[in-house]
Amino acid sequence: MSQLPRFWNLGWSNILDWWSNSGVSEQESSPLYSQQELNEALLDHREGQIFLTKAFQVILEEVLFKGTDVKEKVCDWREPGELAALLDLELRENGETQKQLLKRVQDVAKYSVKTSHPRFYNQLFAGVDYHALAGRFLTEALNTSQYTYEVAPVFVLMEEVVLSKLRSLVGWTQGDGIFCPGGTVSNMYAMNLARFRAFPEVKVKGQWALPRLAVFASQESHYSVMKAAAFQGIGTENVFKVNVDDRGCMNPEDLGEKIELAKSQGAVPFFVHATSGTTVKGAFDPLEPIADLCERLGLWLHVDAAWGGSVLLSKKHKHLMKGVERADSVTWNPHKMMLTGLQCSAILLKDTTDLLKHCHCADATYLFQQDKFYDKSLDTGDKSIQCGRKVDCLKLWLMWKAVGSQGLEERVDRAFAHVRYLVEEMKKRQGFQLIWEPEFVNVCFWFIPPSLRGNENSPDYRDKLAKVAPAIKERMMKQGTMMVGYQPHGGLVNFFRMIVISPQVSKQEMTFFLDEIERLGNDL
Amino acid sequence: MAPTNNSHDSETLSNSSTSPAEPEGKRAPVLVDGVTLNGPTLDIREAESFLRDAMPIIMEEAVRKATSVKEKVCDWKSPEQLKELLDLELREGGETDPQILQRCRDAIQYSVKTGHPRFFNQLYAGLDPYSLVGRFITEALNPSLYTYEVAPVFILTEEAVLNKMMEIIGWTEGGDGIFCPGGSVSNMYAVNVARYQRCPDVKELGLSALPRLAMFTSQECHYSVAKAAAFLGIGTKNVYVIQSDNRGKMIPAEFEKQVQRAKDEGVLPFMVNATAGTTVLGSFDPLEDIADICQRHNLWMHVDACWGGAALMSNKHKHLLKGIHRADSVAWNPHKMLLAGLQCCAFMVRGHTNILQRCHSANASYLFQQDKFYDVSYDTGDKSIQCSRKPDAFKFWLMWKALGTSGLEERVDRALAMARYLAEEIKKRDGFRLVMEPEYANVCFWYIPPGLRSTPEGPEFWSKVHGVAPVVKERMMKKGSMMVGYQPHGDKVNFFRQIIISPQVSREDMDFLLDEINNLGKDL
Repeated sequence: MSQLPRFWNLGWSNILDWWSNSGVSEQESSPLYSQQELNEALLDHREGQIFLTKAFQVILEEVLFKGTDVKEKVCDWREPGELAALLDLELRENGETQKQLLKRVQDVAKYSVKTSHPRFYNQLFAGVDYHALAGRFLTEALNTSQYTYEVAPVFVLMEEVVLSKLRSLVGWTQGDGIFCPGGTVSNMYAMNLARFRAFPEVKVKGQWALPRLAVFASQESHYSVMKAAAFQGIGTENVFKVNVDDRGCMNPEDLGEKIELAKSQGAVPFFVHATSGTTVKGAFDPLEPIADLCERLGLWLHVDAAWGGSVLLSKKHKHLMKGVERADSVTWNPHKMMLTGLQCSAILLKDTTDLLKHCHCADATYLFQQDKFYDKSLDTGDKSIQCGRKVDCLKLWLMWKAVGSQGLEERVDRAFAHVRYLVEEMKKRQGFQLIWEPEFVNVCFWFIPPSLRGNENSPDYRDKLAKVAPAIKERMMKQGTMMVGYQPHGGLVNFFRMIVISPQVSKQEMTFFLDEIERLGNDL
Repeated sequence: MAPTNNSHDSETLSNSSTSPAEPEGKRAPVLVDGVTLNGPTLDIREAESFLRDAMPIIMEEAVRKATSVKEKVCDWKSPEQLKELLDLELREGGETDPQILQRCRDAIQYSVKTGHPRFFNQLYAGLDPYSLVGRFITEALNPSLYTYEVAPVFILTEEAVLNKMMEIIGWTEGGDGIFCPGGSVSNMYAVNVARYQRCPDVKELGLSALPRLAMFTSQECHYSVAKAAAFLGIGTKNVYVIQSDNRGKMIPAEFEKQVQRAKDEGVLPFMVNATAGTTVLGSFDPLEDIADICQRHNLWMHVDACWGGAALMSNKHKHLLKGIHRADSVAWNPHKMLLAGLQCCAFMVRGHTNILQRCHSANASYLFQQDKFYDVSYDTGDKSIQCSRKPDAFKFWLMWKALGTSGLEERVDRALAMARYLAEEIKKRDGFRLVMEPEYANVCFWYIPPGLRSTPEGPEFWSKVHGVAPVVKERMMKKGSMMVGYQPHGDKVNFFRQIIISPQVSREDMDFLLDEINNLGKDL
């Protein structure tokens, strides 16, 4: 591994013991160390850098090139037991050689799902932006924790600029915000802030000093609302699910009724969670009438735009979020449609009263010393519920600098256009049944194999249809040709949810997608 | 893909009026909603060339120079200067690749070099090249850790790492666990799981339906315990603070007294947070005694070993955590002393009770389909409070493979030997005074400038000593020679907290630290 004599491999503690027992050490009182051994650094960075360089080559070839090459597989499926054996997961007493480790790097690349592949449509993220990727490599190399200006000067300032840019797209000239480890945590922040604004005593006295609280979210909202209510001690039964129309958008009249219902049960409404871009259908709640209601009743309006927020980049499509500037808080995940890479999730706030800080601060004296020699308002770490926090702004900032707002807008417009194209093509083909006209980039549909066509009225049609998507999914994964998600939803049996995001996607991919579903499912 | 780009362009020109309905011409561009769809917009060759240019910059500036003792730890600029230098604004148009590369260089130049041998400021430091490779791989692959389907390799490596860590903790019956975005979040998990164990109704009904709960922690614990109590709706007032002894360890008798006090006040005790490796003093609470009390009062015992957990890797030092196998849950951050890189934080629960799943699940049907073709127990995402989650265990797994358990042990032994060395040197030097004998890698001390050494040790003396550390800190940062933290603590005035972790550190750096503090502060 190295040109240097690696006597460290003998085991450092053995050497220490030898030194302390042989009388070489002068320090009788502290036999735990020998000065001589401490003289040199334990870690030799030269050999590490050789490994880094070699490994980078593998990453470029196997992950970046092959992983985005449409001629390569999206995944190389293995059963868990088989994969565990292939990877030789066990952690042992002794280390391995660089050669063995490079092989491991290759294996990991081989058996991982290529989420940047042009035929990966399985989640609400896909594709790769290489400027963002460089930003991520840089973030990892710098290994910065974003608590104070002292430790993260560049990123404290950068985070503020990026947040302010995102806020300006929401329509706010001022406000606050922070990057969180995922949209679920961003949504939790919103709920906690709303509770704190309504009942500041909750921080000290807890939920017992408060009346029973009520949260409102649509039936189509993300499951993180439930996770937040459970985690924050509000309780999932105190989340009132508001009805949606047939496109999946919250019904504002029903919101009013659910608020009345909660009150009649003795619960106190404080928080309305609207969604811009629901997870399955891609629906946008009507923000204007919801905001009217929240204003009238003094409720906190949160907009979960983790998925849909990117439409704000597009002049053509931002109307979908009309009224968002009236919200109190917005969750927006640039790691989804904007391709910054996981994770990049912002909670944006209209508040200018330092609510975020008041709600979350613990004033640790060892970190946020008050006698520092610079402006302590830049020590933004105490706004967070975390302590160590990853730098999530650099990748987004670097990408934005590289492609400009205009480049980001183009990507959004392009994703919408691909969806329009896919939908038109789907309508021309037999066996594809669109469930809703997509408003966003979620295309939900059933594939009906020839054997089921025309049998819609037979009693076992639904049961048979429900089995189609899982069977096709299994086949596509085992063959590695593409990945797309399916789910049952409400009263509907399993259907596919196709997500189109990546700028690597072309219209040929849309055609392939339809052909491939037919190929995999025609015999079912 | 680059060569095909030109042909796309020419097709665009020759087919400017193509209609969407043209299935035959596979390469013919189509115009949808004003967007021309004519192939992918990502040019992988451009990506390659950019990344090949970016990587040497990262390697040279952010890895080699940033870890070289001959370079500065930081290049201090005031926020105003730095804003000017970085040109942070995000604009309509994009920039060229050479401009973006310069931005990478700037970000590196003005960032603090946390991998530098003289960065002693936080509870993490140093740079391990194997972990860094692991981080580059996961950034390039961009997986999200919810399901086996999307992250097969990373689900299995997470499980392997957790099992090994739990074996080292000494849970013979095994357990369950998950990696969290930071130790604060791990501690929040502990509170939530403990609460759920005591009152399973809390998930649905919230705290309003429960008796008031009390949790216990020592005065030396990390501030995340208070943040958890606030965020989870328990309230900071319901955290009963237990007195520690003069070495920073929780006093068991005081713990028992506080439990009794809570009961007398009609509050239901449910958990204790014991700390193995406190943030400032590096103290270890007596876990055996605490476990006995927990058994007597039926309390959940959580051990926050985020910082001190690394001692478990060392045969020589693991006695510090004697009794940890009796804990119900443990938080342990390998990103601290074990150098796994931010973030890498394990939260582990003893036994196979499936409590993580029961406590946190929301059963989203779009993600955790039950009719999948493989064993869905590998879809571990619903154990988390997050939705998308980074694969934080992998970098640790790869590093562990590279170094072996013995290599990790060697690092811990060495860091603690270095701390002993420093403590002995401090005792030998005029003007340096230990706050207490270090038990771990935190060496806390005052520097007393020559001008103060003859002052009698009254209030005036201490108030002058209080002013020393901030000035020395300001000077070291502006010079860029090193970084070490300071804080007031309890009734003690500002003292330095020197943290020794990195295997890059040598004895010379310890001597340098003391010389430099003397140089910077002798005129005070």
